[in-house]
Amino acid sequence: MKKISVFDVALTGMMVAVIEVCKVAMMELANIELTSFWLLIFSKHFGKKVYFVVPVFILIEGAIFGLGDWWFMYLYAWPLLVLVAKLFRKSDEPLTWAIISGIFGLSFGFLCAFTKIFFMGSAAAAFSWWIAGIPWDLVHGAANFILMLVMYKPMEKAVAQIKKKGF
Amino acid sequence: MKKKHIIALLLAVVLVAGMVLAYSAFSEKPTEGTKKITIEVVDNEQNSTVYEVKTDAEYLIGAMEDAEGLTFDGSEGQYGFTVSEINGVVADFTVDSSYWAFYVNDEYCNYGVSEQPVNDGDAFRIVYSTY
Repeated sequence: MKKISVFDVALTGMMVAVIEVCKVAMMELANIELTSFWLLIFSKHFGKKVYFVVPVFILIEGAIFGLGDWWFMYLYAWPLLVLVAKLFRKSDEPLTWAIISGIFGLSFGFLCAFTKIFFMGSAAAAFSWWIAGIPWDLVHGAANFILMLVMYKPMEKAVAQIKKKGF
Repeated sequence: MKKKHIIALLLAVVLVAGMVLAYSAFSEKPTEGTKKITIEVVDNEQNSTVYEVKTDAEYLIGAMEDAEGLTFDGSEGQYGFTVSEINGVVADFTVDSSYWAFYVNDEYCNYGVSEQPVNDGDAFRIVYSTY
């Protein structure tokens, strides 16, 4: 594996900062977030460098907000999104990315329910928890879909310009 | 639109429809009519007060309003009404990571107070907690 350069560390820091700032700025909007959007865009364009972004982001989230059950959900939910992005990285169609982001938003509660089995003590309790959150999963899925559809093209142009400058 | 997009969108629609059906079938629903419930409040000094409530309210917030002697305050948040003060005791997560935890029949409530259904015989517990 290639050695990690100072440039890689700086780039990782910038990507995490972008995700974190957007997350905090949008905290008042229930289940509307840009973390999915950024992780998909970064995974598409910055290759293996994004492998460092996810753990750093998760650690910072834990340091800021404490280690609740949600933190354990992050350990597999976000890496899974990056993995899916890798599978589709050659696609350049906004609708493809919007569908991926939308389905991830819809599935977020279901994915998180696996952690709830351990924290709530039973699969039945975790199932009830997932059911109660379905309206919010629908909001999450719709918001992810729309945000990606609207922002994909402008962001592609911006990333292309950044890459021209050697990033 | 390409064929693969149509298939993916159809799958997403099926997923949404499945989730809506699951929610309609399995979400907790309130009971209409009069119910007898209990609401136990455990404050920051572990003092417990139990309220026996006869209520027509379908959701917990209404039952709390019907509980004689129980006072509470809060604000509308992103997930509905959020209780910050009960019987004069304030829980402020931003100050000392404290909050009011809600339980129904010994299970953690999955809904906010304005959406938590009330059924006959329910035993609610509201406990001052710290993270």
